[in-house]
Amino acid sequence: MPPASESSVSLRALGALFLKVGLSFGAGTGMSAVLLDELANKRHAIQRGEFMALYGLARLVPSGSMTALAVAIGYRYQRLPGTAVALVAMILPSFTLTLLFTVVYTLINNSPAFRLLNLTLIPAALAIVIVSAFSLGREYIKPSLELALIVASAVCVLVFNVNPTLVLLAGGAIGAIAIRDRPTETESGRTR
Amino acid sequence: MLGQLAVANLLTFGNGTVMAAILQQAFVQQARVLSNEQLLYAFALARVTPGQANLYVASIAYMLFGLPGAVLSIVVIALPSYLMIPLLYSYEYVRGNRRVWNMTRGLGSSAVGVILATTWSLSKDSLNAPVTWVVLAIGLALLLFTKLPTVVSLLAATGAGVLIVVATGTTPQ
Repeated sequence: MPPASESSVSLRALGALFLKVGLSFGAGTGMSAVLLDELANKRHAIQRGEFMALYGLARLVPSGSMTALAVAIGYRYQRLPGTAVALVAMILPSFTLTLLFTVVYTLINNSPAFRLLNLTLIPAALAIVIVSAFSLGREYIKPSLELALIVASAVCVLVFNVNPTLVLLAGGAIGAIAIRDRPTETESGRTR
Repeated sequence: MLGQLAVANLLTFGNGTVMAAILQQAFVQQARVLSNEQLLYAFALARVTPGQANLYVASIAYMLFGLPGAVLSIVVIALPSYLMIPLLYSYEYVRGNRRVWNMTRGLGSSAVGVILATTWSLSKDSLNAPVTWVVLAIGLALLLFTKLPTVVSLLAATGAGVLIVVATGTTPQ
């Protein structure tokens, strides 16, 4: 629970807050910025450093960091009911819109409009995948064990058709055993 | 599908792009129940709608299993978030544990390799007409060299593609 010096957040307020977060653009980065602004700056319900620590911790959980952060914030103020309200409120707007657009997609299947999408929207989406891959891999592009793992993983999947799940498991195990660097302040979430 | 999704979510720490790589291998290349175009459409949806970037799994699940599948897919990817609660009680240890961080770096590196392989595979199938290459180039230029939001870049590249198709009289196959 929050320290006495910080205000609490009611269940209803949590719902409204996470609905607003769920309507934010910019994925995790944009959403966490809205959440930080609302909780730390406007409501004074959490200290900035504490929020950053929770955010860093959320990145350790094997799920999306925003859902983990929603659970952490919901639990902090309203225990288990708070986690459920925060998650549902945050996911609902995007879920609804995604379903609506998917229904439209299935309705126009095989029409000229659908084929036009394949020529225009799909390559544009591919550009996002390429830029995301570049952005994720940028920090590893220097001679290191990590770079060797990238190349080996790509070759395993492309050339030898190894299941990506196994490749990821092997990468994690090799990392735990062989990577020697200490975590930096940023990686451990202390400065985020 | 839900089992595959759960494993992909756990291994990728919910990262939408990495998860797409695993789902592409599982559903497009191996099970062949989904096309690359469907996967990329779902992926693009996550970029033009507000909220988390990994909710495109609901779109894929809807295409395969309808509304129940979509709802269950969200439950599957959200449930591991509850690991946050025990983690909150022991976070000083986990935060400073070297092996945990090195494991996540190893996972991250392998994930980048898997994404590169998947990107290659997606590109081979999706870039099947001159106009698709032009749209890709416009999209890359906007994303890399401008500060436009992703959604604007996506829509602008798509719009440019539509104009080219109309202007050149290209017939969508």
